[in-house]
Amino acid sequence: MTAFRLLELLVLIAVLAGLVGLLRHRNLFLKVLAMDVTSTAVISLFVLIAARDGLITPILHGDTPVVDPQAALAYADPIPQAVILTAIVIGFSVQALLLLATTLLASRDPTLDVAELDEPEAAGPRAGQP
Amino acid sequence: MNGITIAWLLLPLLAAFLAALLPVIGRFAVLVTCLGTGAMALAAQQSWLPASLQLLGPLGITIQPDVLAAPFLLLNALVCAAVLLDGWGRPSREAWPLLLLVLHGSVNSAIVAADLISIYVALEVVGIAAFLLLVLGGGRRQVWLGLRLMLVSNTVMLLFLIGCALLYLEQHSFALAAVGQSGGLVLALLAVALLTKAEVFVAGLWLPRTNAEGPLEVSALLSGTVVSAGVVPLLRISAEAVSLLPVLRWLGIASAAAGVLLALLEPDLRRLLAWSTLAQMGLVVILPAVGGLYALGHGLAKAALFLLARHIPDPALAGWRQRPLAPRLWWPLMLASLSIAGLPPLLGFLAKEQLSSQLPGAAGWLVAALGAGTVAVYARIWGPPLATLSTPAGSPHGIAHADAGATPAAATGATVLVGALVLLSASPWVLPLWTAMDPQELAGAMLKSASVFAAGLMLHRLLHASASAPVSAPVPAPAWRPQLEGLDELLGAIVMLAAVLLALLGWQA
Repeated sequence: MTAFRLLELLVLIAVLAGLVGLLRHRNLFLKVLAMDVTSTAVISLFVLIAARDGLITPILHGDTPVVDPQAALAYADPIPQAVILTAIVIGFSVQALLLLATTLLASRDPTLDVAELDEPEAAGPRAGQP
Repeated sequence: MNGITIAWLLLPLLAAFLAALLPVIGRFAVLVTCLGTGAMALAAQQSWLPASLQLLGPLGITIQPDVLAAPFLLLNALVCAAVLLDGWGRPSREAWPLLLLVLHGSVNSAIVAADLISIYVALEVVGIAAFLLLVLGGGRRQVWLGLRLMLVSNTVMLLFLIGCALLYLEQHSFALAAVGQSGGLVLALLAVALLTKAEVFVAGLWLPRTNAEGPLEVSALLSGTVVSAGVVPLLRISAEAVSLLPVLRWLGIASAAAGVLLALLEPDLRRLLAWSTLAQMGLVVILPAVGGLYALGHGLAKAALFLLARHIPDPALAGWRQRPLAPRLWWPLMLASLSIAGLPPLLGFLAKEQLSSQLPGAAGWLVAALGAGTVAVYARIWGPPLATLSTPAGSPHGIAHADAGATPAAATGATVLVGALVLLSASPWVLPLWTAMDPQELAGAMLKSASVFAAGLMLHRLLHASASAPVSAPVPAPAWRPQLEGLDELLGAIVMLAAVLLALLGWQA
């Protein structure tokens, strides 16, 4: 249990590190990367939860004794793994879209400073429109 | 019925695939799916569908096409159809109907989904579709707006996932019913994500800039349907978790107060509408029982207003009274805004009345006071005279001015939405609510509404006493207003909201 707590703490630190990076970095690219750090931490949280009781792959074979409380305890929990697989795919596609949009923005303004990107409309809300 | 429900949920996504192969069918596919959703909304309202549908066992997917979902489904169908019809005559990109289909389908899923993981997946797809719609064919500005939206929404969805993980750790389930027994941390994480998606209070601050600078048909979709994807899960969770209710109530009232205040100070029409969305969504989450009706009335009217704003070339509110509007714009504008303000026979009045009569004590009075504020906000856009009546036929200058840059086609989408709004106000859908009120009660409600209108108009007079004088230069934004809408401020606000929610819910638990 203590190992679980320790790992949980590490995940928490990673989540917070990602959030702090997201808040503090002025560069958009670094912000997107910081979000990825948080995302990875969330994935590891799910993996950790799946493995809290055991590590054995939860697949029964023909010769596995089905009712064996000792063995049943050592199986990993398949539900969080299945769920996080979906979330990984979604997170990956969102990350790809964000990086694509960042690339589009970078072609015009390579500094990618968030304050600057927020700037122009503060000067004139409809400046860009005909 | 189960098969039909699942087929209906899959239909928009299949149609989107087909539309990718055969772009010709895109628009018709949107209309067909919207019709299907409308029919399902009716079926859900009449409880013809199974109230809860469980696929793949207790840890699988749960779908609840129940009475709570019905008004939101109807709203989604009407708004998507109206936005499509509004742009029918204009050339649009091939991907536009396709993305609309995906958005429509994913909002449907988010509305009926009743387990946390399905809600997560649906909300992420809604976010991606909204991002692509916003960015589609736009310049650098729109890419930045979309990116901001996506970054914020993905961050809160990560918090949502952490909430799901902790819930599973505690309760071994992702079902909504398990949320009720969970601790304050889980509730706070889930709530902050859904509040951001529902555009309530500080978490909704991304909205005004996105709406003011993005394409207006996307604004109509955002304010009309995308918010319901966040609101419905929030209402479902608050029905399970009793400790969340008081927090939501006060957050909602704070959101409404802030939205009304900021809308009163706003010099730009589009941003005024966006701030008003913030206020109205606050009122939606106050009471889960009335939330659906309120959101339906507000969503229809607000989407209509955004679609109308497209035909109004100059969104500055300074000098608004000097610019007459053509009747095809004037009537929908007045009806939609009067409904949000709560004029008696319209749907907005019914929703407001239900809300304030069911709220206990001080909260009811606060809502009434906020109603007066809402009237004052919309009084600002009731200024322009009706072009044909006020300007003689000999001087078409006024009409020409109002129409400059607008397409000659009528404001189809807004007309459809406002027509639906007026029809719904007297339809069998809400008839039980009308007949439930006895004449005395009804008279009292009318009187209350009249006094709210009087107070609101008085407030409007007080605030804008000088506004009737012709103004040439736009009023500069007040210097004291803090900068609220930068990306960093948005992220900071969300983290702070999470901390506050955690403190409140943890303290209660």
